[in-house]
Amino acid sequence: MMRLVRTLFTLALISFPLGISGAWAADIRFTAGEYSGFTRPFLERAARDFEALHPGTRIQIEVIPWDSYLQKLTTDISGGDQPDLAIVPTMWVSDLASDRLLEPLDALATPEFKSKFIPAFLVPATVDGHLLGLPAAASARAMVVNTDLLSRAGAPEPKTWESLKEAARLVAALPDTYGFGLPGKEVEVDTYFYYALWAFGGEILKDGRSGLAAPEAIRAATAYMSLINDKATEPAPTAHSREDVFKLFKEGRIGIIFTYPMLIPQLKEEAPKLHYAVMPFPVETKPVTLGVTDVLTLSSSSKNKQVAWEFAQFLYGDKYRAEFDRAEGLLPVTVSEAASSYYKDNPDIAAFAAGLAYARFFPTVKGWPEISDITVRALQTMYLGQRTPTEAMTDAARQIDEVLARP
Amino acid sequence: MQRGKSTKSSLGLDGEALQNRHTLLLLIAPSAIVTAVIALIPVLLLVRMSVSQISRFGKIGDYIGLANFIRLAEDPALPDIALRTGLWTVSVVAGTILIALPTALILNRPFFGRGLAQFLILAPWAISVTSMAVVWRRALGDEAGLVNRLASTIGFSDPSITWLGSTSLSFSFEILIAILVSVPFSTVIFLAGLSSIPTDLDDAARLAGAGAIGKLKYLTLPLLRPFIWVVLIFNVAYVTNSFPIIWILTQGGPAHRTDILITYLYKLAFTFGRLGEAAALSLVMLCGLGVVTVLMLRMIERSDYA
Repeated sequence: MMRLVRTLFTLALISFPLGISGAWAADIRFTAGEYSGFTRPFLERAARDFEALHPGTRIQIEVIPWDSYLQKLTTDISGGDQPDLAIVPTMWVSDLASDRLLEPLDALATPEFKSKFIPAFLVPATVDGHLLGLPAAASARAMVVNTDLLSRAGAPEPKTWESLKEAARLVAALPDTYGFGLPGKEVEVDTYFYYALWAFGGEILKDGRSGLAAPEAIRAATAYMSLINDKATEPAPTAHSREDVFKLFKEGRIGIIFTYPMLIPQLKEEAPKLHYAVMPFPVETKPVTLGVTDVLTLSSSSKNKQVAWEFAQFLYGDKYRAEFDRAEGLLPVTVSEAASSYYKDNPDIAAFAAGLAYARFFPTVKGWPEISDITVRALQTMYLGQRTPTEAMTDAARQIDEVLARP
Repeated sequence: MQRGKSTKSSLGLDGEALQNRHTLLLLIAPSAIVTAVIALIPVLLLVRMSVSQISRFGKIGDYIGLANFIRLAEDPALPDIALRTGLWTVSVVAGTILIALPTALILNRPFFGRGLAQFLILAPWAISVTSMAVVWRRALGDEAGLVNRLASTIGFSDPSITWLGSTSLSFSFEILIAILVSVPFSTVIFLAGLSSIPTDLDDAARLAGAGAIGKLKYLTLPLLRPFIWVVLIFNVAYVTNSFPIIWILTQGGPAHRTDILITYLYKLAFTFGRLGEAAALSLVMLCGLGVVTVLMLRMIERSDYA
């Protein structure tokens, strides 16, 4: 009897791991930030299509809100469980690379495959001459105006910062509306300031030091403060996040906002009666916009690199890429997609895409999250009226210089 | 509560007692192992992280001694945040006890509709703190929020106050919400304490001519003292580490002015990528709370023998 039990127990022990590993020849974990409600169903569908073509492969999709994505990825990596494939913001790539967490793609990506991409988008994912990721998403920012509100207020087209201020004041004078949407809470508070900073000729960093104490930066900060003081923004920007401002715009309560292309599909779906126009940012000294890219990376610790790489390539099939870019409101990263009539004939997307020619990117320096946080705090104290623009910017520049000087 | 050592040394144990002791140890062993795995291993990992160089993505590098603790001590934002954490904990715990104690005293007395009243007071306990915070964020959000609509209905001239836009208003609201969230649990503990007071003592006090205030002062509160300490200990630990209310309402903003240590710890780790300093702060908080808890436990023992 004991012998029988022992034999069965041994068989069970042997068959258990075989059962686990035998079910799937390759198990791939794929993580991505959530661009919209479309991201997860799209990736799930692409994964199922790939699995159907590659029996024995299982693709596990994890779509995480951008707010908590860094936390999730850090926890995974520190726990030794880095996903095989991940779409990450470009600014994380150099940190991931310095920890040797990314697989160089030079040997995997054939010249023919690389030629699918618009060459400029391969540059941000190249570190020390090695290609460490594929462009997964690209966008540039632009201004969107509620044309009904502007015309009711008799406001000028906000082509310059002076005309933007004038238009915002006139729209704000209408009942129950605000002129300019200025988020002062949570994500991208500093980003909204950089649009003005660059437009006024300033720089986030110059010669290895903060550019916030420069006269251009103080002029940009003063421009925003004058909008707040004139009650041309929503009341108390520090109470409104970017999403709050977008919500007010969708409700037809705000005249002018700065936004990303992903808002356009949302406007079409959630506010179909809203009349709007996409325009370049107002110009002060030169046209500017912010360019943002995300990249698809392959983990250096992946146990199934070849299959993961095949899935990565699969996602760049014309059918999937077109569907993804269009539904998410992203700009094209492949040559064939950029050439399609959709991007040429669609005035909304064309207006965002036009900015790519002069787009600026965030600096890739160590300590960037702290530099960003210092800027956010300076802006918030200024928006609350606790500091003047000069005080807030000078103090922020001093703190940023301390961060930059840190070894 | 029993205190002091057994009168028999282990050398003097007879066979039966020794066997009992072994059985006892055997019974305790699984819990001790689980406790060690669940509590001790993460703490040891934290200690390792706090004395190591850690990359932004959590790769543990060289041993660097106390450098993370020194960098943490030099952080200019920390003194303000530590003070605010004290203010937050004291305000929320004091507010909770000041509301929960009278509530429990009232709910302990028979009156028409007591069952419904008990349900209404205790029901929020079943709702997660995160859900409560999300609801309050919407209620305080902007002019379309519930609070502003109510203000407008009852005729306030400026119904579009942005409650979460200013530092002092938003922090005050966060304290208020934390009190409301903590009241049900504390009320349950107080009700349990009140039900443990023998009714004959109450009758005796009444016969001795004690009024309501006298009974509360000389009978109910002294007998309730261990339960007050229990509420204090649980709430101090819980409130100091309470993350969702502040994070969901203001994320510690504007300008870090509503940050407490636990929200700042999250930012250190996952916004600034200073994981070593975050581990150091975790350990400091753990030690701080440990000391406070031990002190309060000693106070319970003292109050037992008072």
